[in-house]
Formats: sequence, structure tokens, C-alpha cells
Amino acid sequence: MGLLSSCQSKRANSRSVSMTFDAQILNMSGISKAFPGVQALDAASLSVDAGEVHGLVGENGAGKSTIIKVLAGVYSRDAGDVEINGIGFETLSPAAVHDAGVRFIHQELHLVPHFTVAESVFMGQELQGVLGTKNTAMRRRAEEFLEESLNAHISATTLIRDLGIAERKLVQIARALIDSKAQIVVFDEPTAPLAIGEIEQLFQAIRRLKERGIAMIYVSHYLGEITELCDRVTVFRNGKNVAVESEIDERSTETIIRHMVGRDIEELYPKKDHGVRDPILKLSDLTSDGRFSGIDLAIGKGEIVGIAGLIGSGREELTDAIYGLAQPTSGIVTLDGKDLNVTSPSIAVEAGIVLVPRDRRHDGLVLDLNVADNINLASLDEVATSFLENRKAAIQRAEALCEKLDIRPRNAEAITRFLSGGNQQKVVLARWLATGSKLFILDEPTVGVDIGAKVEIYQVIEGLAAQGAGILISSSDPSELLGICDRIVVLMRGEKIADEPAITLNLDSLTALTTGGGSVDTAT
Amino acid sequence: MNMVANTGGAGLRSILVRYGFLIIIAAFFAFFALYTSSFLNGSNLLNIVEGSSILLILALGMTLVVALGGIDLSVGIAFDMGAAFAIVAMKEYELAWYVAVLIGIGGGALVGLLNAFLVVRLAVSPFLATLGTFFIGSSVQRVFTNGGGPISHRRVPTEYRNLAIGDVYGIPSEVIISAVVLIGYYVFLERSIFGKRIHAIGLQQSAAVVAGIKVRSYIAIGFVLAAATCAIGGIIGSANLRMFTPLAGFSYLLDAIAAVFIGASMHPRGRPNVPGTLVGVLFLGMVANGLNLMGLDFNTKDALSGLILVGALAIAVAQRKLR
Repeated sequence: MGLLSSCQSKRANSRSVSMTFDAQILNMSGISKAFPGVQALDAASLSVDAGEVHGLVGENGAGKSTIIKVLAGVYSRDAGDVEINGIGFETLSPAAVHDAGVRFIHQELHLVPHFTVAESVFMGQELQGVLGTKNTAMRRRAEEFLEESLNAHISATTLIRDLGIAERKLVQIARALIDSKAQIVVFDEPTAPLAIGEIEQLFQAIRRLKERGIAMIYVSHYLGEITELCDRVTVFRNGKNVAVESEIDERSTETIIRHMVGRDIEELYPKKDHGVRDPILKLSDLTSDGRFSGIDLAIGKGEIVGIAGLIGSGREELTDAIYGLAQPTSGIVTLDGKDLNVTSPSIAVEAGIVLVPRDRRHDGLVLDLNVADNINLASLDEVATSFLENRKAAIQRAEALCEKLDIRPRNAEAITRFLSGGNQQKVVLARWLATGSKLFILDEPTVGVDIGAKVEIYQVIEGLAAQGAGILISSSDPSELLGICDRIVVLMRGEKIADEPAITLNLDSLTALTTGGGSVDTAT
Repeated sequence: MNMVANTGGAGLRSILVRYGFLIIIAAFFAFFALYTSSFLNGSNLLNIVEGSSILLILALGMTLVVALGGIDLSVGIAFDMGAAFAIVAMKEYELAWYVAVLIGIGGGALVGLLNAFLVVRLAVSPFLATLGTFFIGSSVQRVFTNGGGPISHRRVPTEYRNLAIGDVYGIPSEVIISAVVLIGYYVFLERSIFGKRIHAIGLQQSAAVVAGIKVRSYIAIGFVLAAATCAIGGIIGSANLRMFTPLAGFSYLLDAIAAVFIGASMHPRGRPNVPGTLVGVLFLGMVANGLNLMGLDFNTKDALSGLILVGALAIAVAQRKLR
């Protein structure tokens, strides 16, 4: 959460701007919305002033995305009033909301990789001339807009696939705002796909938009970003807005967390006491041409080892190679002293290596199967008599794990797609708990997971280590690595540049290492 | 289940959408029962079931491949190979009927092996791979029979002939064989742990890979099993006519696909499934039979099948929106 310290100096400046606006531009009050078995919103309110950046936080399932979807006209509300710019809306349709000047920047980019920046910005809203589309004008407008409104210098003829993720995000924003009619912009987890260094680029764009008087709703799990960027914050819990905080600064984080979870979080990271142990996994000179090279790494029984590194450092490629999703070109992997040739995940799982993938919705879960099926998927033979599934045993085992990991709703037959991010991640964890494996690889285990579930996931990880499993955590969140790991390995451009006990590192030194800005000497 | 939408006028609409397909089936059934004198007749209903047996067997094979996330355009070729291998085994090599049946099934399985090789080894998409197999298989049959002439075998063993025209306590053997295949597929796809893995692969292959499922093996085995199943249909067909008719299997392809997707549209999450396929097959059989009894042009049957398929899929989409 301290990732953003670099941009603190600008905060005072931006806050003073917001104070000059106080006209309410959006007022949603008494909004209720029920789904089968769930009261997603219960007389919730959200009000946003012109020219402010308004944070919207809450645990998964608290109702933030539901109220956003009500505003977007995706869900029809059961009760409540919506006023945009002082005009009441009986019903909201996506078209009406768009006409009222509300724009949504979704988490997914929805850009065509082979289009140019200009084509992407004007897709579906091309400037028409007598002789077809006005390509030169569109290129100029796109570049101007990116430059002036978003503080980004991107050539309009660049292909989307050649842009970094942050720049793609900016193109996405430009596409939503290019018609200059936007008054309220809703950002849904905009930084989720971004690397640490890229976040500031997005923030600068947001600050520029704010200077131009555009109101913004900023939905994020990263409280550091919220306190950095927002003028006011609305906290949701159990379908209600439980607090609206103004006067946001660093110290607000604790208050916000308390509102989110409804209690004090005494300790984010569990205590740990890990001695020196026998190695369970050893990598010797593991190399995958063009991705990483010469990686030596040992993980002991009960040890939690973190991998830090920017995108492109080889972090993802390394964990994929250990799990058999990609083949290393040379090097040796030994598990429990035995050489292992992992050519596919099924071999890894059989040997006792399991992966919690970074993209859980795509690779971690079969979203249209129920929770029990997803939990039992890797160990179906244990809930079967010969080869026939024993439904009762399957549900029972899944329910026991749901109980243990506090997976909500407490219904093993719920379809996994409809669970919140944190609960989905717990389902993936539960699957591997059921197999009783020796080595757990966790890739970005808490991305998109709310703070309460985060703590629970850390406790599960800690519990696994206490039982003697080896843990390898790959994460782009340095505070997470520092908090949970015994040892941290830093990768840079495919090479291991540091392998240090976590207690000898701090946020600054670790960030410096991953960004290539320092050596271990600067630590402690 | 849906407590929110069940209020007032929306209630009726949601009922129509939820049970839309069953309502359509019931409507057709009532229509045929009212407008033809013989539709409801017990022997006619048995006719429908018997006439649907071979299609059911092929549609079950298709269900397996579609459940794995693929499609098999070569089910007809596997059907033909089953007939050809069995008839030739008896006619040219004078093998016992049961050996001929096994050889026929093996012949069909070869088609599946080719598909498996193309899809798993060469990573060709199932649609194009099985289309290729379809072309190759069609051509092979024409070359082998000098342009498509049937290979007849008038003196097939009685036991073999009885696979098609025999009966047990009045139940036609075709019906019994297809029922056995049906039960086998139900247990395999809907009750076994293999079926669970197969559905997982079809729904989200990347997640199945990460869960440690041997996805490639399952897909390969799926194609082989499906083709072997279709060969059983071909064997029954050849037993009925006492001959191998080249390219006869093709006529089942589109109906099999339609039946699988009608069945899938009835599943709450749109999954291909064995009971749904059975309903789809019986429904297509009922429509064909009813139109026939009404003396309507048989050619309109395909138009109706098309309408029903599209209608069923549209209802399925509406159902998912309602949730």
C-alpha cells in the first residue's frame, strides 16, 4: 500500500482544486436490488460532486459493482432514486446513461490488438467526411486528446499490440471520453492489470481529467490508491453504504478498513516462526531461452519463498515452467530429492506440485461448474466409488472445505461464476488443500481480493507452511511478499539478482531491487 | 428459484421462457394427437422410438465430442466404416457375426483415431479436422466401391440380421441396443468422474489443464469412443438392409448435431448432456413421424427442425438472461 509514495507531493495540489466544486452531479439514494437468495443492495446511497474523485470501496460482495451496474443501466433497481445533473431517472438504460454523460472504464480493455490507436479511439464513432472516414483528422484528434486530457504522448498510428498495458488503458479512456460529453467517469479497478511503474501514468491522466472538472468514481481494492487519489470515499458493506469519509489521507486507511470489515484488523500478516528445513524443491540452472536463464532456487519444507519482479522479469514464465505449462530448455528440477521432468501440469499435480494461477477466472476455475465440482476437480477419485462419483461424499467434502476457508455463500452447489473474487480464489485454494500437495505455487494469490479475504488467504498459506508444505509466491505487491515470505527472490530480465531473507528487506529496498534501482546494500 | 422476476406479468413470461421448450414439445405432441388418428397409437409411438434408435446412437457419440468442447462432422463416416468393416468381414472372410461386429466397431474407431491425431497431435480445430476426415472418408468409400455401389451380403447370419429386425419380448432389438448405449453414456458422462472431467474440459479447457487433468488424452479418447459408438449405428443399419451402402451415414450428421444442441439448450447452464440429447432425438423423431402421418410433404420436416433448433437456442439465451 505504500507503492504510491512517489506521487504524494502532488496530492495537496489536487485536493485544493476539488474544493472549488461542490455541486452534486450524481445522487443515488435508497437503491435496493435483490438477486435470488441475495439482497445485493439494501437502500444504498452514493453521491458524487462535480470535479471530485470519489472512491468506492468495500469487500467483494459488498455491493459496489452492483450499484455501478445499476448506474450503468445493466441491472434494473428494485427501489430508489437516481439523479444525474439534477435530472431524475425513472429507469436507466445504457443509452440514456451514456447520453447523460456517464462513462465506464471497465476492467477489461476490449481493444483489438491489430488496430491503431486512432482506429481504437474512434471505433464505432468514426468521423465521417464526404469521401469516407476522415483518417487524418481522427489521428490528430486522438493524439491531441491523449496529450491534453490524459497527459500521454502516444502516436496515433501505433498498433495496440505494441503498447504497454497502461497505455492501452489510456486509449480505452480516450475512447470513452473523445466525444467531450463525459461528466462522470467510472473506473472499475483500473490498476488491476498494471505493473507498479505503470500506475503513476494512469494517475496523472486521472488528475488531468479532474483539473478539467470531470467527476470520477474510482472503484478499487487498493486502499493505497484510494487514499492517494480520492477526495471522498464511500464505503460499502453488506449492500449498504456504511460510511462516507472526507478529508482523506494516509491515516484514513485504518478507518476505511474498519468500516469495510466492520471490525478492527489486528494483524494483516500472520505471525511466523520458520526454522531451517530440508529442501523440498530445487531448481538448478533452470533456463528457458529468451525468458529466464540460470535460475537456482531451493524451497524448504514449511518455507514461504516469494518471487518479486516486474512484468517481463521472467516471474510468470518461471512458475509456468515449474508447473509444466511451458517447457524449460535446460536445467534440473528436483522434488524431494528426485529428478522431475514436468512436461505437463498433470505430471506436476501427480508429483505433488500445484498451482494457483494468476488468472483464476480463466485458468483457475471452471466457472460454469459448481463450487463442489471445482474443489473436487483435481481429486475426483477420492469422492468416487470405483469410477462413479459419490455425490453425497463430494458435496460433504466440499462443504467441509467451504467451512474451513469461510467460502461464501456456504453452498457447495452454487455456480462458481457468481462468487466474488476472494471467494473464487478460496475455491482454487480449497481444491489444492483437498489434494494434500507438497509444493504450492501461488501466482498473484490476492489480486482482486478484498482485504478480509486477503487475511484469510494469508492464514491458509501460513497454515500450509506450518504443516510442512513448501510455498512459492509470485507477486507484484511488495508489501505482500515482505509480510508473508521467509525469503524473497528477485528476478530481473530473466535473471535472479537477489535471494535474501525477507527480514533484511524493506519496502524501499525491495522496490529498488525489482525496478533495478538499487542493490541489497541499501536494505535495512 | 427466481423470486425476483416472478411478479405479475413478468411471471408468465418467465414461466414461458423457463419451460418454453417443454411447452413446445407438449404443443407438438398435442397437435399431432388431435389432428391424426394414429399418432397416439401404441405401435406408432414405438415406431417413433424405433425409428430414432440409430440417430440416438450417433447423437450420443456427438454429445461426447461436443461435451469436450469440439464437434464431429465425421460421425457419418464412422457409421459407414462400421457397416463396411462388418459386412466385408462376413462376406469376404466369412467370420462369425460377433467377430464382424467387433471388427465393425474397430473400423469406426479408426476414424476416431484419425480425428484424435489431427486434433491432439496436429492441433487442428475439431471442426476442420473432422471436416477433413469427412472428405477423406467419403472419397475412400467411393474409391473402394468403384463409385459408390453398395456391397450387399444377402446371406448374413440370422443373429447379425436380428440386430436390426429381431426383438426381445416384443421390444425391437434396435431399441434395446440404443437403450444400452444410452445408459452407458449416461453413466459415463453424467455420473462418472470421467464425465465430470470431460464437462470441465469442454467448459473451460485452460482451467482443466491447470487442474492437472490429462486434457489431451481425454480429447483423443473422446473422439475414438464417439466414432466407435457411431459404428454401432452403422452395424445396425447394415443388418437391416443386409448391405453396406456407401455414404449412408451422412444423412444422420445434421440431425445428430441438432439433437445435441436442442438438448444442451434445455440444460440450465447450456451444457450438452445425455438426457437432453435423448429428448432432442425423440423430438425430431416425433416431428418427422407426425408430419408423415398428416400426409405433409416430408421435405418440410427439415424446415421445422431448423426452426425448432433456432427457437430452442433462442429460448436458452433468454433463460440465461433471466437468471
